[in-house]
Amino acid sequence: MEFKLEAHRIVSISLGKIYNSRVQRGGIKLHKNLLVSLVLRSARQVYLSDPCPGLYLAGHPGAPAAPQQPEESAAGPPAGWGEPPPPASRAAWPEPEPQPERPAVPEVPRAGDAEPAATVTAAGDTLQGGEAEAPEAAWRRVEGPRETAVGAGGPAGVSGVCPEGPEAARGPCGCPAGDEDKLSAAPRVDRCLASRPAAAEPPASPPVCARKRGAAGVGGGPADCPAPGSTPLKKPRQNSEEQPGGAAAAAEEEEEMETGNVANLISIFGSSFSGLLRKSPGGGREEAEGEESGPEAAEPGQICCDKPVLRDINPWSTAIVAF
Amino acid sequence: MRNRAAWRHWAASFHRACRPTSDIISTVEFNHTGELLATGDKGGRVVIFQREQESKNQVHRRGEYNVYSTFQSHEPEFDYLKSLEIEEKINKIRWLPQQNAAYFLLSTNDKTVKLWKVSERDKRPEGYNLKDEEGRLRDPATITTLRVPVLRPMDLMVEATPRRVFANAHTYHINSISVNSDYETYMSADDLRINLWNFEITNQSFNIVDIKPANMEELTEVITAAEFHPHHCNTFVYSSSKGTIRLCDMRASALCDRHTKFFEEPEDPSNRSFFSEIISSISDVKFSHSGRYIMTRDYLTVKVWDLNMENRPIETYQVHDYLRSKLCSLYENDCIFDKFECVWNGSDSVIMTGSYNNFFRMFDRNTKRDVTLEASRENSKPRAILKPRKVCVGGKRRKDEISVDSLDFSKKILHTAWHPSENIIAVAATNNLYIFQDKVN
Repeated sequence: MEFKLEAHRIVSISLGKIYNSRVQRGGIKLHKNLLVSLVLRSARQVYLSDPCPGLYLAGHPGAPAAPQQPEESAAGPPAGWGEPPPPASRAAWPEPEPQPERPAVPEVPRAGDAEPAATVTAAGDTLQGGEAEAPEAAWRRVEGPRETAVGAGGPAGVSGVCPEGPEAARGPCGCPAGDEDKLSAAPRVDRCLASRPAAAEPPASPPVCARKRGAAGVGGGPADCPAPGSTPLKKPRQNSEEQPGGAAAAAEEEEEMETGNVANLISIFGSSFSGLLRKSPGGGREEAEGEESGPEAAEPGQICCDKPVLRDINPWSTAIVAF
Repeated sequence: MRNRAAWRHWAASFHRACRPTSDIISTVEFNHTGELLATGDKGGRVVIFQREQESKNQVHRRGEYNVYSTFQSHEPEFDYLKSLEIEEKINKIRWLPQQNAAYFLLSTNDKTVKLWKVSERDKRPEGYNLKDEEGRLRDPATITTLRVPVLRPMDLMVEATPRRVFANAHTYHINSISVNSDYETYMSADDLRINLWNFEITNQSFNIVDIKPANMEELTEVITAAEFHPHHCNTFVYSSSKGTIRLCDMRASALCDRHTKFFEEPEDPSNRSFFSEIISSISDVKFSHSGRYIMTRDYLTVKVWDLNMENRPIETYQVHDYLRSKLCSLYENDCIFDKFECVWNGSDSVIMTGSYNNFFRMFDRNTKRDVTLEASRENSKPRAILKPRKVCVGGKRRKDEISVDSLDFSKKILHTAWHPSENIIAVAATNNLYIFQDKVN
């Protein structure tokens, strides 16, 4: 269980880093995002593989099979999403865009489960010179959004993450120009993040818009944001770097389902995702997925995917979508 | 190398080369003779220090480095097409060997490499016929005699001019540049590609390494550093984020995607953790002066490899192994992503690298002794001798030791340089530059 907690925490921290990388000066750092996505993948594996009695296993064959799931679901979602984008569309994605890459199939040995505990038990040590925010706060059941939940990406996330002006446009922000001027966190963030989950079926996979979309209009990079509302399957192609975050979001989602604690999930995403809060004022615990998708559905053009399709996908993916 | 006493006698030869509006130093490099020391900072500025000539009447001031030239190398740019801001931070500076009176260096930010010429002017012509001393034209009718203009001394002026700009060749962030031993070419490496340039040609470069996969989803590693062999102009190495080093021979093929040698140490499964991949990522690779060895730096260790043995390093030095149990915290505060550099001394017998709390470490390869020193204001009084420091890793802390939890992780020494032939080191601690000399001279 400890491993799970730590893995969960690391996942949320990693999400925050990926999220913050969008607004960092100088563009997205490919190397750093690759490393973060690797950590995300490892943590997710530990999270999935850690045998933990309870609801978690209800939806899955069990711990040993858990690691298989990501791969299987990886195969699944693309199919669920729709046709893979044609190569031409992929090419349209501007090559220069540095994006965190999807790591190869993880080789983290099962024995690795033991190590993370040893490694992470020291996580409580505080070190100077760094973010003092305590991601472990993500773990605490909180009533409202906890800004520290997403590590660095928390509160700063709202204002800092929602890119403004040029920074926002960093990733080929497929968002229609109008969005870039919006500073309001919720709709923008949802939109921007919406693109993440889609592609992140494979755990911690770096975002590549081309892969991500499936049915979503892959075509086109930055300039080619599918018109909102043109089809429910299309979503603005955002910084693919968010992909790995998506996988982590899925982790959160699983945790959500497992504990049925909406507040916990909210705390993890922090106030950046006020859209979630808006749509689910506190009820809907049982509909964790729905809650995630709710805000999405509510915003025309932001719908990542049809809900029924979401339901069929690994719950991780669901959270990714909501993300 | 020297006798043991030498280790204890590192003295600060001068207080500190501190610039009032200093920015965080991002690179430090001695030139080939050690006469000049160049630093680049986050603000895109380059500051060059020159060593004072020895003078008989001021023996104790021998060898001090003073500011020689300062110029703005790179400016922030904005890529409108991709809506990306390009930082002006100087990632690397590399000197060219001196071939005439002027000095040449390469400086690079994330996207553009520039060749700078630094030259002195200490004379100016005087005595023109057609214009007066202020430069105003003279009425030819008033000229009755002719004179030959002569050069007269003037106050020394050091000017830096950009001679070449090598731009638009890198999609990803440039992390390394390396001048070839042929002195005609150099390479620049970004996350996925390495390009070969000729100094005279700025509008094209050859791509010699490309590890970008056809499908970016399959990317598993990036290039983290690259360097030419010091003597063989056809050989270079590059390191990866997976902790591997590849040696390539440009004679083998135009595109050196296939390595000639592959250096990798098998991972120790008992050390596996969430962060194994991060801490195995190599942050710096340096050939020894002899060309026989390469040294690599990853987050916790420095390794020396023999070019003739690919399956493991010949030496591994623990820089700050006490951080191994703190990787999660270091991940949270981003310190785990710090890229430390490493350097050889002139005779390849000692290696040096930085750590946290403004500590830096030296390892003597022959005696296997190591020392931890600190670059701090307290120690930087002129001729103060540096006292070895020690980190207490557990149990009872002795009087002068520092406990791991007291380390200041915002004070990190990422960039250091060693004089090519003498025991003079330059250590960059955030926005301060420290220069230390071995007192036994």
